[in-house]
Amino acid sequence: MRDRPVVVLVRHFFISLFDLGILSDEGAESLKRVLLGILALAIAAGLLLTRVFMTKYGMLAGAAPEAYAREVVADHAFLMALPMWIVAGAMSLVGQSLFPDETDFRILMAEPLSRTEVFAAKLGALLLFGGLFVAGSHVGLLPVAALTLMGTANTGSIIAAAVAFGASTLVASLFAALGIVAIHGVLVLLASRRRLLAFSGAVRIVVIAGLLLALPLVARLPASAGAFEANAWWLAWAPPAWFAGLERWLLGDTTRGMLAARAMAATIGAAAIAVFAYVRLYRRFDRVTFQSGGAVRSPGRPPRIARWSRGAPVQHAVLRFISLTIQRSVLHQGLVVGLLAGTGGLVLNSLLSADWHVDAEADTAAVWTLLWAPMAMVFLSVPAIRLALSVPLDLHANWIFRMAEDVDGRAEVAEASVRAVLALAVALPIALMAPLQWWVMGSGCLVVVLVEASIGWLLVEFLLAGWRRVPFTCSYIPGKGFIPQMCVKAFASYVVFTFATGLMLQASLRHHAVAVGLASIFGATAAASRLRRARHARQTSLLFEDQVPSDVTPLRLYAD
Amino acid sequence: MLQARGLTKRYGGLLALDCVSFDLHPGEIVGYLGPNGSGKSTTVNLVVGLLEPTAGDLSLLGLRAADDPIAYKRQIGYVPEEPYLYAHLTAGEYLLLVGRLRRLPDRALQTRIPELLRLLQLHDSRYTSMTAFSKGMRQRVLVAAALLHNPRLLVLDEPFSGLDVNAGALLRTLLQMLAGEGRMIFFSTHRFDMVEKLCSRVIVLSSGRIVLERPVADFAREGPDCLEETFVRATGQRDFAPLAREILATISGG
Repeated sequence: MRDRPVVVLVRHFFISLFDLGILSDEGAESLKRVLLGILALAIAAGLLLTRVFMTKYGMLAGAAPEAYAREVVADHAFLMALPMWIVAGAMSLVGQSLFPDETDFRILMAEPLSRTEVFAAKLGALLLFGGLFVAGSHVGLLPVAALTLMGTANTGSIIAAAVAFGASTLVASLFAALGIVAIHGVLVLLASRRRLLAFSGAVRIVVIAGLLLALPLVARLPASAGAFEANAWWLAWAPPAWFAGLERWLLGDTTRGMLAARAMAATIGAAAIAVFAYVRLYRRFDRVTFQSGGAVRSPGRPPRIARWSRGAPVQHAVLRFISLTIQRSVLHQGLVVGLLAGTGGLVLNSLLSADWHVDAEADTAAVWTLLWAPMAMVFLSVPAIRLALSVPLDLHANWIFRMAEDVDGRAEVAEASVRAVLALAVALPIALMAPLQWWVMGSGCLVVVLVEASIGWLLVEFLLAGWRRVPFTCSYIPGKGFIPQMCVKAFASYVVFTFATGLMLQASLRHHAVAVGLASIFGATAAASRLRRARHARQTSLLFEDQVPSDVTPLRLYAD
Repeated sequence: MLQARGLTKRYGGLLALDCVSFDLHPGEIVGYLGPNGSGKSTTVNLVVGLLEPTAGDLSLLGLRAADDPIAYKRQIGYVPEEPYLYAHLTAGEYLLLVGRLRRLPDRALQTRIPELLRLLQLHDSRYTSMTAFSKGMRQRVLVAAALLHNPRLLVLDEPFSGLDVNAGALLRTLLQMLAGEGRMIFFSTHRFDMVEKLCSRVIVLSSGRIVLERPVADFAREGPDCLEETFVRATGQRDFAPLAREILATISGG
C-alpha cells in the first residue's frame, strides 16, 4: 500500500507544497526553528484570545438571551473568518501547484503512470494540505468556540448549536479553499503558458495584499454585533458574515436567509468552477499545458538601453535587476507585496480606529494618527524590503556578478540596494499617506513630509550600513538569533521609534523652523553615513555564496 | 599568455587538484580532457577566478590572479558547463546586465547586443523571458555574454552541450577565428571529436594530475581513434566490455 505509485506521488506532491526551493540545508533547518517559533506564538495568541473571550462571556453570563445571541453571531463570524483567512492564505501561497503543470506533464507522463493517477495524487495532496490547515486552525479555536456555545444565557440546544456552527465554519473554510482553486483554475485554462506564471503571480499579489489588508477588518468582527442586528449593508459583501448567517439559518432564524443563500451560492459556484477547471485540464492536459504563449513584450518595442543614464553603470544594472526580479519572480513579488501589505494593514487598522469627527480634540487625535502612520510603515517596511532583497533567486547564476566584481562596483551595488529600499520602503509609504495628510493638515504637511523623508533615509542608511551583497544572490538563513529576544527587541524599537518620530513630526507641524532643523540634522547625518558606507564598500569585497556553476544540484520538482 | 603553476586545490581532506601546471599561448586552443571527477571543473573554476587555489599561482598577460583578481578576471570570458543564468530576464536584458557589470559603454552595448542576438539566432526571441528557452538557446546567450567584452582569454566548459549541429558548427568556426586573432581559448570537454577538430594541444587530467600533454597533430598522424585510445590508457581506464556485461547481467536478472 505504502509503495503504490499514487501514494508515492501524493507524498511527493504534498512535500513539494512545502518546498520553497530557495533555501540551503542550513537555511531550511533555520526556517524550521522559525516556524516552530511562529507556532509557539500562535498558540500563545490563541490562549490570549481565549482569555479575552472568557472575560467577555463572563460579563455576558447575566445578560438577556437576546443580548447574548447578538454577541454570539458576531463572534462566530470572527471564529469562521480566522480559519477562512488561514486556509485562503495557505492555498494562495501554493497557487502555482494547485493544478498539474508542464513539469508534471513532461516528467510524470514519461513514467508508466496514467493521467488519472497523476490527477488523483494531486487532488489527494491538495486535500491533505488544505485539510491540515482547516483542522489546525479549528483545533486552535476550539476552546473559544466552546466558550461561546456554552454560555449560561444560551437558551437553545448546545448540540444543535455546535453542529450548526461546525457545519457552517467547515463550509466557510471549504469556500475559502475552493475560491482560490477556482481563480487559479480559470487562469490555467485561459492564460497562455508564458503568461501563466506572471498572471498567477499577479493573482497571488492581489490575494495576499487583500488578505493582509482584510486582517484589521477580521479583527473588528467581534465588535460588529450591532451591524448584524441592524442587518448592515456591508454584511452582504463580507463572506464570513454569509456563513454566520448560514449558521443562524440552520438554527431556524429565517431573517438570515439571504446571507445563508449567499453562502451556499458562493460555495457551490466556487466548487463548480474548480471542478470544471480540473475536468477540463484532465481531458486536455497536453493541449492546455502547451498552449502557445505570447511574448513578454511586443517585438516592436526598442530596447531600453537608451533610457539608461550615464555614469555608475553597475548601480543601474543592479537597480534594473532588482526591478525586473520584483516584477517577474513570483516569490519576490509575493514577499515584497506581502510585507508591504502587512504594514499597510496595521496602519489601516489604526486609521479605522481614529476618530475623524472634526472637533478640536478629535482633530488632534486624527493628526497624531496621520503623523504616526507613515513612520510606522517606514519602520516596518525598511527591514521587510531588506529581507526581500536577501532571499536568493538562483544561487548558481550569481557567478556572473562574481566574475564582474570591481572596486567601484562594490559601492555601486550597495547604493543600488539602498535606493531600492528607499523607493519601496520610504518613498512609497510617505507618498501613500501624503494625500491624507494634505486633506487633514493642509499645506503644513509639506514640512512633515520633508522630515519623514529625512528620518526614513537615515533609517535606511543605518540598517544597510554594512550591506555587502548583490540582491537575491546569497543564501537566506532566517532566524539567526534567539526568536523571543528578537521579537522583544523589535517591538521595543518599534514603540520607541514611532513615538519619538511622532513627537518630532508634531513639533515640526507646529513650528516649521523645527522641521527645517530636524530635516537638516537627519539629512546631514544620512549623507555622512552614505559617504562612509561607500568608502567601506570599496574596501570590502562583496559577499557571495561559495557555490560555483559546475556544482551538481538535485532535480527539484515544482521548484520555481 | 596564461600561466598555471603548481595549482593545487583541496576541499577539506579531498585533494581535487594536485600541482597542475600548464601554459596557454595567444592564438592557441587547448583541449582539457579527463574522466568525471578528475578535476577539470575545479581547474576551470580556478582559471576563471571563481575559486582560489590552496596552493599555486595563475597569471594572465603578466597579471597575477592573487595580486589583482579584478584586473585578472576582466580579461576573461567564461561559458559554464550548465547554462546557469537569470532566466526571468530576456536574453537582451541579461546581456545588458552583463555589459553594464563589465562597464562597457552604452554605445557599444547598443550595437553589440542586437547584433550578437541576431548572429546567434536569438533575435526572434529577444523579448521572451529565458524561462522558455531550450538549453541550446541558453548556451548561446552565455556564449554571447562571454564574448560581449571582447576578452583575451575564453574559458569554455562543455560549450557544445545542448547546441544543435548548426549552432555547434558556428561556435567551432567562431572559436577558430578568435584564436586566429590571437585570443587564448581553454576548452574543457569530454568530446574527442571536437578536440581533434578544434584544438592545437590537448591536456589530459586524471585524479587531479596531468597525465598527458601533447599537440593534437601528433594523434592525427598516428591514425583514427588514437586520441581516444591514448586517453583510455593515460587515465588508467580498464577494458569496458566486462563492465558492460555485468550491467547486462544485472538488468536481465542474472
